[in-house]
Amino acid sequence: MNLSVNGSNQVVDAPGDTKLLWVIREHLRLTGTKFGCGLGLCGACTVHMNGEAVRSCQIELSDAEGTQITTIEGLGANGHHPVQKAWAEIEVPQCGYCQSGQMMNAAAFLNSNSAPSEKEIVDAQQGNICRCITYNRIKTAIKRASEIMQGA
Amino acid sequence: MTKHIKKVSGLSRREVLVGSAAGAGLVIGYSVLPNAVDSASKAIAAGNWDHQQFLSMDADGKATVHVTKCEIGQHVGTALAQAVAEELEIDWNDVRVNYPESHAKWGLHITGGSWSVNWTFDRNSRIGASARIALIEAGSKMMKAMPANCYAKNSRVYTADGSKSVSYKEILSSNTIDRTFSEEEMKSIKLKSFGEYSIVGQSKQPLDLPAKLDGSAKYGIDVFVPNMVYAIPIQNPTRYGAIPKAVDESAAKKIDGYVGAYVNKEGFTRVNTGYVVAIGETYWAAEKAAKALKIDWDLGENKNISSDDIRDESIRLQKDPNAGFLWVLEGDTDKGMKNAANKHTAVYETAIAYHGCLEPMNGVAYEKDGIMHIHSGHQSFTFAVGNTAAALGVEQDKIVCHQYYAGGGFGRRTEPDLHVLVAQTCKHVGRPVKLIFSREQDMMFDFHRSPTYQVIEGGEEFGRMTAMNHDVVAGWSTKRAAPGFMPDSVDKKGKVDQFSTNGSDHWYDIPNHKVRSINNELSDRALPVGFLRAVAPSWTFWAVESYLDEMAKKAGRDPLAFRLDHLTAAGKNAGTPPNSVGGAHRLRNALLVAAGRAGYGVKPLGKNEGMGMACVSSQERGSPTWTACVAEVKVDPNSGEVEVKKITVSMDVGTAVNPDGVRKQIEGSALYGISLALYENLTMKNGSIEQGNFDTWTPMRLNQVPEIETVLIQNGHYPAGTGEPATTVVAPAIANAIDNAVGARVRSLPITPEKIKSAMREA
Repeated sequence: MNLSVNGSNQVVDAPGDTKLLWVIREHLRLTGTKFGCGLGLCGACTVHMNGEAVRSCQIELSDAEGTQITTIEGLGANGHHPVQKAWAEIEVPQCGYCQSGQMMNAAAFLNSNSAPSEKEIVDAQQGNICRCITYNRIKTAIKRASEIMQGA
Repeated sequence: MTKHIKKVSGLSRREVLVGSAAGAGLVIGYSVLPNAVDSASKAIAAGNWDHQQFLSMDADGKATVHVTKCEIGQHVGTALAQAVAEELEIDWNDVRVNYPESHAKWGLHITGGSWSVNWTFDRNSRIGASARIALIEAGSKMMKAMPANCYAKNSRVYTADGSKSVSYKEILSSNTIDRTFSEEEMKSIKLKSFGEYSIVGQSKQPLDLPAKLDGSAKYGIDVFVPNMVYAIPIQNPTRYGAIPKAVDESAAKKIDGYVGAYVNKEGFTRVNTGYVVAIGETYWAAEKAAKALKIDWDLGENKNISSDDIRDESIRLQKDPNAGFLWVLEGDTDKGMKNAANKHTAVYETAIAYHGCLEPMNGVAYEKDGIMHIHSGHQSFTFAVGNTAAALGVEQDKIVCHQYYAGGGFGRRTEPDLHVLVAQTCKHVGRPVKLIFSREQDMMFDFHRSPTYQVIEGGEEFGRMTAMNHDVVAGWSTKRAAPGFMPDSVDKKGKVDQFSTNGSDHWYDIPNHKVRSINNELSDRALPVGFLRAVAPSWTFWAVESYLDEMAKKAGRDPLAFRLDHLTAAGKNAGTPPNSVGGAHRLRNALLVAAGRAGYGVKPLGKNEGMGMACVSSQERGSPTWTACVAEVKVDPNSGEVEVKKITVSMDVGTAVNPDGVRKQIEGSALYGISLALYENLTMKNGSIEQGNFDTWTPMRLNQVPEIETVLIQNGHYPAGTGEPATTVVAPAIANAIDNAVGARVRSLPITPEKIKSAMREA
C-alpha cells in the first residue's frame, strides 16, 4: 500500500486493517509517535492526516492511503516548528513520552486558531494525557507558540 | 555506594584512579585494586579497570558523566552531571551523559525514593574534583609552574596570575596522567560550599530535552533488532494466582504471521503464577493472535476476592491487638490518653492506585554469545538482573540490561516482571522478541499502591498533643520485592515493612507516640503491591495531616498555630547532619513560607471556598525533604464537586542543584498527588481489577489542572530529593481545605463528590 509520510512516498507491505500507528512505528521506524492506550483515549499517537490531528491508533492503513501524513519527525525542519521552539523555551517535557502527541495536537490546533484564548487551549488539548502532568507548561507553551507564529 | 562493594579476596584497597594512556583522554572512578598494582596506568594496562567509572574525558577535553540512574522524567543525568562539572571546572558545553548497561560493579542500581541526587552529590563532586586536581597537576607541569600555584576554570588550567594557561584538550591530548587517590585523600578534598557554585544552582537546560522535542529520544519501545518477533501477553483473568491449563491455537494458526504462544504454567515467584504470550511476526499478527487464542484458565485461589474483602480484612486486623509490629514507641500512650482534655479517633483510607506510566511496560530481548540482552528503560537493574537470572536458572553475569529513556517510572519500573517475561519468551521462541503490554494489561498487571486502612487515636491538653496511637494496615511491598531490606520492629518482635509505614514517624513533638504496622496478607496474596511514587508517605501523611487539623479544631486552635506548637525540634526531632540537620525547625519554616505565600488567613475567600494546609517530611526520616502546601478550594455544596483553585507548595531542598529541574519535579509530583487524591480509583472484583483503560481509570487532564505556585527554600544544607515529596502533601491539604470550605471531613481517598456530600450530611 502507498502512503505519504512527511512528504515522502512509502510502500508498506501490511494488511489494510493494520493501525496506522504500528505502520508508522514498526514498518517505517518513525518511533517519535507513541503507543499509549490503543483506544484513542490518551493522544500519545497523534499525527496529522491532511493537516488534521488524528489518533493514529484508531486509523486503519487502508483509510490512510492517499492522505498526507505528518509525524513529529516531519513537523518542522530540524525541529524548528514554532511549537517545538516554544516547547524548548518553556522546557515542557519531563519523561517526554506524550510530548510528540502533545505537540502534534497543539500544532494542528494552532493552524486552525493562531491566537487562542486560554479556554480554547484547554478545550483543544484536554484529550492528550501527560502523566508527568506538565499541563501548566503545555498551556504556557501553546500560548508562546502562538506568539512565535505571529512573529513575536 | 561504598557499602555495596564487596571485598573480593586479594583485592584490598578501594581507591579512585584518574588515569590515561598517552593522549587518550582520561578515565576517573572508584576501583578496588590488587595490592600489586599501584597506579592508574598499570591498572588500565593490566585490564583491571573494572570498577565504577563515573567519569571519562576524551582527548579533546569533553567529559562524559556515567549515570547509573534511569531518566524517568526527572532529568537526573543533568543534575548528576552538574555536580561533577562544578568541581571539574569544565565548560558546561563540554559535558555529556551516558547511561551504562548493567554490571555487578555498580552495586545497588535503583532510581527511586528521591535518592538520586541526595546519594550521589558528594561522591560526584569528589569525582569531578579528583579529575580537576589531576588536570591541574598535568597542566602546571606543561606550564612549568607548581600545581599549588595553578587553578582551573572553564576547561582550562591557569597559573595563579592568569598570565599563562593551557586547555583541558591540550593537556589530555599530550599527556599520560597517572594519579591514584586513596579513600582518605578523596575524603579530604575540600569541596566548594554553597555560594561558591557556578554550575550547581543553575537551571541548566536538561540534557535530554532536545531529543524529546523532535521524536528522536529512544525509549525501550523504540528498539529494533533483526529477526525480531512481537509478543503481547494475554491478560490473566485474575491479578494473581491464575494458571493457564490449556491453550487452543486453532483460530490463531489461521492468522498470517502467527508465530506461536508461549505458555508458562509455573509463573515466577513474586512476579506471577502463569502466563500466555501471543507471538507474531508483526505487532498486527501478535495482537490478532492475542484475541484468537482460547485459554482455559484455572482461576486460582483469589477468584472471589474484592476490594471490600481486602478492606474487611484490614478492619479485622486493626481490631486485633496482637496483629502487627511496632514502628514507633515513645513514652506511654495509655498514660498520655488518660489525662487528655480532648480525645479524638478517626479512620483514614486510601484506594488501590495505579502507576499509569504512559509508556506501557515493554522490552526487547535477544541472546548473543550466551548472554541474554534486555533493552528497556528501567529503574532497577539490580532487581531486573537478579530476578531474570533466577527465572532462567543462569548466573547473573549472563543477563545484561541496556538503559533507555523511560516513558514514566513512578516506581513501576523498579519491578522485574517485564524482564523476566520477555527473557522467558525469547528463550521459548528462540528469536529476538519485542514484548509490549496492552494498556489493559499494564493497568491490571501493575504492582499497585496498596489499599490502606489507618486508625489514629489521640489526646490533647492545653493545645498540645498528649498521645498518638497510629495503626497502619497495608499490603507490604518490601516483603514481596526485597524482604531482606526489612528492619526489625522497635521492640524486636518482628520485621516491619518500612516502605509501607514510614512517614508515620513524623517530626511533631508528641511525648507518647505509638505506631503499629500491620500487614494485610490477603492484599499481598490477591493484589501484589509495589512502590508508587513517594510510597508509604502518600498514605501515612494523608492520615497524620488530616488528623492534625481535626484535633486542632477539637482543641479550638488554628491548624497553623497548632502545627507550629508541635514543631519545636526538641529531642529526637532536632535532626542530624547532613540530611536532617535543623530537624523540625526546617519543616516549621517551610510551613510558614507556604502559609505566608498563599495568604493563609489573610486572602479574602468567597462562599464555599477554603484554604487548608499540610506539611510533610517525605520520604524517610533519614532523608526528609521538608515540604508544605496550602490548597485553596471551592466546593459546590449541591453537586459535591470540588475545584482546586490554587496550590502553593514550599520545599526546603537545602541546595537546589538545578532549580528549574526542582520546580518541574514539584509541579509534576504535586499534580500527580492531586490526580491520585481526586480523580484516580481502582477497584477489585472477582480477583480482577475492574478498570482497564483511560475511560474507566481517569487521571487528571489538562482542564482539571489548578494554578500552582512553588517556592524553593535554599539554605546551603545538603541537597534533598525532590521527585516525590510533594505527591504526599497535597491530598491532606485539599481535604483540610474542603472541611474549611463547607464543613465536610472526607477521610477516604480518592475524594469524590459523593464522599463530600455524604460528609456534609454527617456534619
